[in-house]
Amino acid sequence: MTKHILLDTDPGIDDSLAILLALASPEISLEGLSVVHGNSSAAQGTINALSVLELAKASHIPVYKGCDLPLVQPSLLAPETHGEQGIGYAKLPEPQTKPQVQHGSDFLIERIVSASEKITLVCIGPLTNVALAIRQEPRIVEKVAEVFIMGGAIRHEGNTTPLAEFNTFVDPHAAHIVFHSGMPITLTPLDVTYQCIFLPDDLNRLVKIDAPITRFIADATRFYMEFHDEYQKIQGCVINDPLTLALTFMPELCDYQDLYVDVDLSGGVSMGNTFADFYHMTGKPANMRGALGVRPRDFMELFLERMEKLAKSLS
Amino acid sequence: MKTKIIIDTDPGVDDALTILLALASPQIQLEALTTAHGNIGIEKTTRNALAVLEFAKAAHIPVARGCSLPLVSPLNKSGDVVHGSSGIGKADLPEPKSKPVSQHAIDYLIERILAEPQEITLFAIGPLTNLALAIRKEPRIAQALKGLVIMGGAIRSGGNITPLAEFNIHADPHAAHVVFHSEIPITLIPLDVTYKCLLTTADVKRLNRIDSPVSRFIRDATIPYMEFYKKYEGFDGCALHDPLTLATIIAPELLTLEEHYVDVDISGGISAGNTFADFMKVSKKPANMKVALDVRGRDFVELFLERMESLA
Repeated sequence: MTKHILLDTDPGIDDSLAILLALASPEISLEGLSVVHGNSSAAQGTINALSVLELAKASHIPVYKGCDLPLVQPSLLAPETHGEQGIGYAKLPEPQTKPQVQHGSDFLIERIVSASEKITLVCIGPLTNVALAIRQEPRIVEKVAEVFIMGGAIRHEGNTTPLAEFNTFVDPHAAHIVFHSGMPITLTPLDVTYQCIFLPDDLNRLVKIDAPITRFIADATRFYMEFHDEYQKIQGCVINDPLTLALTFMPELCDYQDLYVDVDLSGGVSMGNTFADFYHMTGKPANMRGALGVRPRDFMELFLERMEKLAKSLS
Repeated sequence: MKTKIIIDTDPGVDDALTILLALASPQIQLEALTTAHGNIGIEKTTRNALAVLEFAKAAHIPVARGCSLPLVSPLNKSGDVVHGSSGIGKADLPEPKSKPVSQHAIDYLIERILAEPQEITLFAIGPLTNLALAIRKEPRIAQALKGLVIMGGAIRSGGNITPLAEFNIHADPHAAHVVFHSEIPITLIPLDVTYKCLLTTADVKRLNRIDSPVSRFIRDATIPYMEFYKKYEGFDGCALHDPLTLATIIAPELLTLEEHYVDVDISGGISAGNTFADFMKVSKKPANMKVALDVRGRDFVELFLERMESLA
């Protein structure tokens, strides 16, 4: 059965790859994108979302601009990781299509509340849009069928502070709202995404197909690989967001544990730290399913095959 | 020229009195109410807002229902001790016939404020959740608002919900943080001044020399409120926290305002929700609001009584 997916995103290099993977996957129907600040500003992210959809000849999919600032924290964007435009060295033409008038949060509310089918929400940026939607329309918590979130670092170190992962650090208050909302969450933390490294050899395999999609992936990830080399001594790049998207239709890629996960909002050095209560110290019931193990090469093989197919079909 | 106002409110005994005072003040044109969780849950604050408007024959004024929960903090459920289980003391208003507008308070605020730039003054007399989310959803409202008057905070005064924190701010400190740092032109009415405006039992008796629904409502609404102040704070009377915000329009000469940089503690320790002003300018940050630090309290209560008498 086709899954109906709403993607809340901050494109973003790995976000762009997640969008392409969604378009290349027959198991799912991508219903719309809501864009949030994060890797780029909401305005730039919206342009990138539209451009990537046009590149993949999927500009019929609606894009909704959402929040440009975190709830409480000051703005934090990531040009050093994703480039000034948010898509590395890639240059895509100005999009011909425009974003929808409706706000990203309102799109999520309306689409979830009015749905007759099951809706899967996939969140791969800071959670501001989703948190705002929950507070404005609490009924979406009961209505949404499943929520996949890329965020957090459970046993893993952080990639933005020693403890905190980028998406949760950028808007920890929004993460707090979503984590404690009662939504059926599957979390994809750095614990699993940092095992999924897109290697230079993987890129070499893709660019054997000379097509707009593969050229885009090459230009976008070249920048991302330079960042990973310089800051994290990783040869290749971590493609967090496509893994989260893949779990919606291929859950067997990961191993899961039901966990009570919270996020530190106290404003000290642990700000944005996500932690699980493995030993049930709090006595609180699990509020999500955390992916803690992954078969990285199975995922990468899936990603590469789908990108090859998409590249060929569009070249 | 009348000042056009919207009140974001959680009625609430003193909220109800604020609505009545706004309706009784010729300088004010009450455009709408938006409701928040706070003194009591959102169902009851919305019901009370509608009921008070109908009671005052002002049911044409729209009410938009807002957020039921604070951004991050757990919902405060202590308000019924002060405001009674209905939220308006022992007053027994009929079930309202009118309904809230279909739009959510967040969107209603955005639409009304943007439709009339520099025309609307917002009076926020409950927790600031609705306004904080409206600012994040549509940042342009910060420039479009003519002004914002907030009942909230305790600057040099003690708190009334924790030793340090005032109720409205403590109920959603993160929302207060968003609003305080939004660059909206704010006037803050903290406990420092509201505790100087006490409606006494003698005042309520004076009002009830006029036998009318309004005076009976004020008497019945303030019964548990008065009992609370007697029991917990040891004085006769109740503070006119929320109505005092309207003094900024109807009697600004009663208030002493100073410009300060004011922040709110959201670090989650025992100071959670504490509001403080940088009097010595140690943070070197520019002032973000005007703060009322003194008031001619008895003069304000007199004014309140006169307006209520004329309404009655």
